[in-house]
Amino acid sequence: MTAVADRVVVLDGSSVPDREVVGNKGRSIAWMLSLGLPVPPALCLPIEECRRFHAAGGELEDEAWRSVLAGVAGLEEKLGRSFGGGANPLLVSVRSGAAVSMPGMMDTVLNLGITDEVEEALAALSGDRDFARSTHCRFVHQFGETVLGADLDEPGPDATPAEVREAVLRDTDEAVPTDPHEALKAVIATVFGSWSSRRAKAYRKHWGISEDGGTAVIVQAMVFGNLGEDSGTGVLFSRNPLSGDPAPYGEWLPKGQGEDVVSGTHDPLPLEVLEGSMRGAHDRLIEAAKLLEHEHGDVQDVEFTVERGELWLLQTRSAKRSPLAAVRAAVDLAQEGAIERAEALRRVSAEQLATVLAPKLAEAEVAKAEVLARGVAACPGVASGIGVVDSEAACKADGDVVLARPTTSPEDVSGMIAARAVVTERGGSTSHAAVVTRALGRPSVVGVGEGVSDGLAGRELTVDGSAGVVYAGILLTEDVDPATVPGLGTLIEWAREASPVAVVDEVPDSVDLDAAGAALDEGAPDAGALAEALRGATAARGSALATAEGARAVLEAGVGTVERLPGQHEAALLLRLAQEQSNLLEDKER
Amino acid sequence: MTDTDLLALHGLAVKKAGSPAAVAAVLGADESEIESALEAAVAEGRAAGAKGTFMVAPAGREWLDSRYPEAYAEFRADPAASEAYERFERINRELLSLFTDWQMMPAAGGERVPNDHSDADYDNGVIDRLGAQHERAEKVLDRFAELDPRLGIYETRLDEAYDRVLAGEIDWVSGARIDSYHTVWFELHEDLLRMLGREREEAP
Repeated sequence: MTAVADRVVVLDGSSVPDREVVGNKGRSIAWMLSLGLPVPPALCLPIEECRRFHAAGGELEDEAWRSVLAGVAGLEEKLGRSFGGGANPLLVSVRSGAAVSMPGMMDTVLNLGITDEVEEALAALSGDRDFARSTHCRFVHQFGETVLGADLDEPGPDATPAEVREAVLRDTDEAVPTDPHEALKAVIATVFGSWSSRRAKAYRKHWGISEDGGTAVIVQAMVFGNLGEDSGTGVLFSRNPLSGDPAPYGEWLPKGQGEDVVSGTHDPLPLEVLEGSMRGAHDRLIEAAKLLEHEHGDVQDVEFTVERGELWLLQTRSAKRSPLAAVRAAVDLAQEGAIERAEALRRVSAEQLATVLAPKLAEAEVAKAEVLARGVAACPGVASGIGVVDSEAACKADGDVVLARPTTSPEDVSGMIAARAVVTERGGSTSHAAVVTRALGRPSVVGVGEGVSDGLAGRELTVDGSAGVVYAGILLTEDVDPATVPGLGTLIEWAREASPVAVVDEVPDSVDLDAAGAALDEGAPDAGALAEALRGATAARGSALATAEGARAVLEAGVGTVERLPGQHEAALLLRLAQEQSNLLEDKER
Repeated sequence: MTDTDLLALHGLAVKKAGSPAAVAAVLGADESEIESALEAAVAEGRAAGAKGTFMVAPAGREWLDSRYPEAYAEFRADPAASEAYERFERINRELLSLFTDWQMMPAAGGERVPNDHSDADYDNGVIDRLGAQHERAEKVLDRFAELDPRLGIYETRLDEAYDRVLAGEIDWVSGARIDSYHTVWFELHEDLLRMLGREREEAP
């Protein structure tokens, strides 16, 4: 850490400043640099500057601004580029970064430093005039929305920066600065100012977070993945986030820039292509991902860019993963010694385990079943019933029904609650029907096509909301054999060892919580009431025992045995008990 | 403007089945007035009711559809209403994609996995987007409330849901059994479609 004119912290990895000083993002950049990883250089206006900014009535003090200019000069020197002009231009991103993450603050402005002249230089460097123009448009658009509060349509592919400027001016009566220094100063002021935004204040009030804190501002050099054949951008997972397979898994987009991979607008290539074309960058990337995984003790999702053969890491975070991958990665990481077994048990949520253990359609059944409709898989899961085409019929039906509608309105919500599964003719994965069925946990297939629902009325149906298929008939499901799921057998074994309570199929004299009026209907049960109901019992059973509160009550009441109800899975009950046991031990230590 | 009979049945249609209190809450109207209007609707065969819960009957639907054009003629003809509705649709697209991100997180290879809410940064990012859309929505709702003051109630209801989300009650983003942000927004959408006589258009 080097201080420039006392007011700005240069993040160069020579030390790792506290998050109370430079915020979470600033600390993360410094930390990655301190590990020797290639991260674009950055500077940070520390949280202290946010306080000064507000004390000065919402103004960046001259001294602080001079420090920013000196810091930017440092970035220029380090990279051999110049901010706001020249043949080799420097663009920067500006981000907020408080010590605790909170909504309501200005997040990011990218491509700061672009001007008409820089656009020309960028076009020459990349050989891609459209890219240079759209980068310029995106900057003007983002500045207009985040700094000036404009409400704009996304610029189209043929938009020009002048048109976007005009749109901002029309909407706000304010102009986007053409001077990059003026723009940079305005963005920094907006980040600091957003600490006092209505939303941020409301959030802090709700959570009792002090108003005296503040946010840091990170100004970081941007790198480009589209400067020719030896450039590109991608995402690397330190192990496969879908299967949990320990081999790294990645996506690579040659000549791609920034959001191109994440946004899904381009089709990325597998990582092997990078290995074939730029072995050195590929190997450094894999090494970096393994190091980051080891340091974090968790699967990492690393965004990276290769600029003219040089690897840059942009961001790392814990990877989002499928339930299958959650099980396998947790067990593998523990067996590799990266985490403790108790931690491995905590890494798998009961919901994830329930998904892994959910009965699947028998393959032989699927092979011979008639497909009645195909659409978008909107909410995963499998369910069967008789097709009904209006919500009233769904509500009045005695047996299991599948609700099929052209589209859904609020009137249909009661029908969706009553149905086992939902099918709609119109709409995609973001339709109201998709949102509601996911909230209710009802398997759904949407967008099966006009007029299809009438043909489903009165028929026996099976809806596969994971595959987006509606089958004729009530198809059989089969239980999952733990031996076929990598890691699952071991996880169950560890849960059994960690749980002080046994789970059995039958035990005499167990207290029935459902009969005692503590059945699990909606929402979390009351842990206190459950513990009260279990006082003095040696064994217990009930739907509420599948919840964390239920497991906690069993442990606190000293119940020795839990009796599994039909439909409850032994592994799921054991995992809850093991997790709550380790929480209990931790609470006691405190 | 519209009479209480129309309003009560309209509120019931927007709210799905409901009690007079729930319908009154949607309309920002007096509960006892709504109750007698709903009882009158039952007598006319336009609604069915049992144990204080009412539903619109098929005849009631037809009656509503026949009354809307006249009752909302002014609203439908007003370019300000159409313009506000265009803005509403834009926010609607953003919100629905945000609700989807809230429920299902993008993982790898274009796949999504259920959000188990263990990643505070991810959740806060989505809540932040909700806040930004909420602020856009306020402007649109102000415009609607100028055209029909009744619609102002949605701003209050959305505020309540958003406050709960900020307070960490995460079910209030898109929970289907409560007046979550999505539930209220969904009802507002239905309300506007009925007033304007438009068809629901779903994103592909």
